[in-house]
Amino acid sequence: MCLGIPGRIIERRDDRGLPMGVVDFGGVRRSCCLAYVADQVEVGDYVIVHVGFAISKVQEDEARRTYATLREMSQLDELDWMRETADLGLAAFASREGHTAPGKGGDA
Amino acid sequence: MTATTLTMSPSCPLPLPAMDRVQLGHGSGGKMSAELLRTHFLPLLDNPVLRQLGDAAVVLVPGGEIAMSTDTFVVSPLEFPGGNIGSLAVHGTLNDLAMMGARPRFLSTGFILEEGLPFDVLDRAIAAMAAAARESKVMLVAGDTKVVERGRADGMYVNTTGVGIIDAQFCPRPDAVRTGDVLLVSGPIARHGMAIMSAREGLEFEAQIESDSASLVPLVELLRERVGSAVHALRDPTRGGVASALNELAASSNVGVMLEEASINVPAPVAAACEMLGLDPLYVANEGVLVAFVDPASAADALAALRSHPLGASATIAGHAVADHRGMVVLVTRIGSRRVVDMLPGDQLPRIC
Amino acid sequence: MKYLDEYRDAAIVHSLAARVRRTATRRWTLMEVCGGQTHTIVKQGLDELVEDAVEMIHGPGCPVCVTPLEQIDKALILANRPDVIFTSFGDMLRVPGSDCDLQQVRARGGAVRVVYSPLDALQLAMRTPDKQVVFFAVGFETTAPANAMAVWRARELGVKNFSVLVSHVTVPPAMTALLSAPDNRVQGFLAAGHVCTVMGWSEYEPIAAKYRVPIVVTGFETVDIMEGMLMAVQQLEQGRFEVENQYVRSVTREGTVPARELVSQVFELVDRKWRGIGEIPRSGLGLRPEFADFDAELRFGLGELAVDEPTECRAGDVLRGKLKPFECPAFGTLCTPERPLGAPMVSSEGACAAYFNYGRLRRAQEAPRAAEVLS
Repeated sequence: MCLGIPGRIIERRDDRGLPMGVVDFGGVRRSCCLAYVADQVEVGDYVIVHVGFAISKVQEDEARRTYATLREMSQLDELDWMRETADLGLAAFASREGHTAPGKGGDA
Repeated sequence: MTATTLTMSPSCPLPLPAMDRVQLGHGSGGKMSAELLRTHFLPLLDNPVLRQLGDAAVVLVPGGEIAMSTDTFVVSPLEFPGGNIGSLAVHGTLNDLAMMGARPRFLSTGFILEEGLPFDVLDRAIAAMAAAARESKVMLVAGDTKVVERGRADGMYVNTTGVGIIDAQFCPRPDAVRTGDVLLVSGPIARHGMAIMSAREGLEFEAQIESDSASLVPLVELLRERVGSAVHALRDPTRGGVASALNELAASSNVGVMLEEASINVPAPVAAACEMLGLDPLYVANEGVLVAFVDPASAADALAALRSHPLGASATIAGHAVADHRGMVVLVTRIGSRRVVDMLPGDQLPRIC
Repeated sequence: MKYLDEYRDAAIVHSLAARVRRTATRRWTLMEVCGGQTHTIVKQGLDELVEDAVEMIHGPGCPVCVTPLEQIDKALILANRPDVIFTSFGDMLRVPGSDCDLQQVRARGGAVRVVYSPLDALQLAMRTPDKQVVFFAVGFETTAPANAMAVWRARELGVKNFSVLVSHVTVPPAMTALLSAPDNRVQGFLAAGHVCTVMGWSEYEPIAAKYRVPIVVTGFETVDIMEGMLMAVQQLEQGRFEVENQYVRSVTREGTVPARELVSQVFELVDRKWRGIGEIPRSGLGLRPEFADFDAELRFGLGELAVDEPTECRAGDVLRGKLKPFECPAFGTLCTPERPLGAPMVSSEGACAAYFNYGRLRRAQEAPRAAEVLS
């Protein structure tokens, strides 16, 4: 409970009175029911989809704001958390053969 | 909101699974498949060659060694983005031969056709088979067809058996991985399985995902020419995905395998389809990818060799073999944590949770 | 994928984890309710990053794990009928019933099909008028709107061969049941982000106030969970016990009102048995009398089933957070993903399966000989 993933509405249509749409998830498209968000969304909006139903509209402004804050915070802190994580790395994730240090190559 | 005290009746069934018949999971390439072999086939058919459970059997004949492999294709739907059962049937067996370092030469094939199968579907499969064989300069020298009543054979089942010539200087084997060996993955993963999924009833979605079904023979040739016996093991991760193939190699060679999540290439639409269905790309089938364990001194050359061919253009170094946790595959996640990647019991199932 | 990948950013996860460690002056015990959150935590090793600051107890948020044995057995009976095509989400296929599971029924010739959406099951019914199509309507509040719509549409379109086997559960009663148990150790909750997307968070305010526990509505990606943990720990350190929302990109206080409206038209609150826990009053959803036509239990005359539940599996204790999976004597020996004793070992979100699949390395390193037994 519950696999819900964000996708972008690329088409809206009506199926005998039921608001449906085609949602694009990073290159995969699927027909989804938009009945529960019908009044809030237009083509181009992002929704969270669970078992073929849009259950919410993604609050893009909120998302941008919080992500920017988190990103900035992580950059300000960088020296601290990298050092701490490396220390942890020796204790918790020690690999005798060596491995990717936490944080490297992991940025989305 | 009223308070409720839990009525304590911890309970759980003790299921006695009726393991008296074949289940779908037995064909998944995971633990149930291994158990099927161990419990039903090997005890009766055991011999030193079969016991090795390599991708192909290597046998001695007057003049040298040959490799022989057989595979039966039951894919549904018969035609999918990127190929059909005919091309798949050729690529699959050629690849199994190539994984033992053999140069494929001859194929035989058997078709089981369902009454009512449209001829144009059959013709397309045969044309694709012919084209795939021609492309790899392999001759189809023997064949058989049978027809069964409507309702059996899902349209068509195809078997291919292949024979290849072993080069004594180039013998990748599943038990030959050594600690320190570098793991290379030749290309983006999980394409075939998700291409099939996208066409499967009940889970339909549109995606620009094509099966990667292809002959790996050219890639193996490049490796042979460039680094030769520095290639210790090869495997094509078909059903069960990269995770199962690496587990098999780790077990056969008795080494541990470290796998780096960040170095594994999953194309965006494939990743999206996996997200949607709750599937892990590491367990999804591939038909045009190989994994190779190579001596560290030759790793850079091997990588360059793969990348010089379109099929291997996005090859990566994805991990290495270690002396720890022998027989286990451990993934280093993007955030630097580690977890065991085990073989699944049966097929991955799409989930809602 | 947009609005997904950003929330897996490793740098952000580590900086949040460092803040959690710095903020905590002692170790706190938190529970994440949702199975999908358990999946992320164990799969990504998030609890190991903040081990000294937080102990995560995995809650019963796995609808697969808590579906009562009786419902599984009823599903098996229906799936065995030659006139029925039994449709289900993939999660349910390997859950053990009293004698077998849906996959085995399929092996024996029953028509069992996995679908992604309940609307797909309805469409299947419309395409195969000569068969009865039954859909296994499981889930928490997140899935109820979808299942409700399938039933609603079936009635609207006059589909006669579609029915649902219902086994819905709701979160708040389970939380209060856990919190009022005398040996409860949970001090704060990460509430389920998609349940709250539908329901909003107002029903959690009385719980936070009464039991004095912080409740943070949290998403599912690594960044979300780490941020949720930080918010919970901050509240605990400050002596606050409020409902806060981490998952702001999807959750609002009132939730998705049209969804809740349709759910309340199709379903009503009923008493529900939670497998491994017992009966929790008014913790489930059942079809309203107006929709009784679509109730598979009535249509096929299923009635009450007496089920015999031996007690070797400790799923109940695991689901209530009393026992860590690897503390169960059957873990990894009698009970493995291939031969599960109970649902938490089968379901990909079940705590036992999660530990078996993801936690083995650590325990293998700590106890090499035990690891040899397990593998």
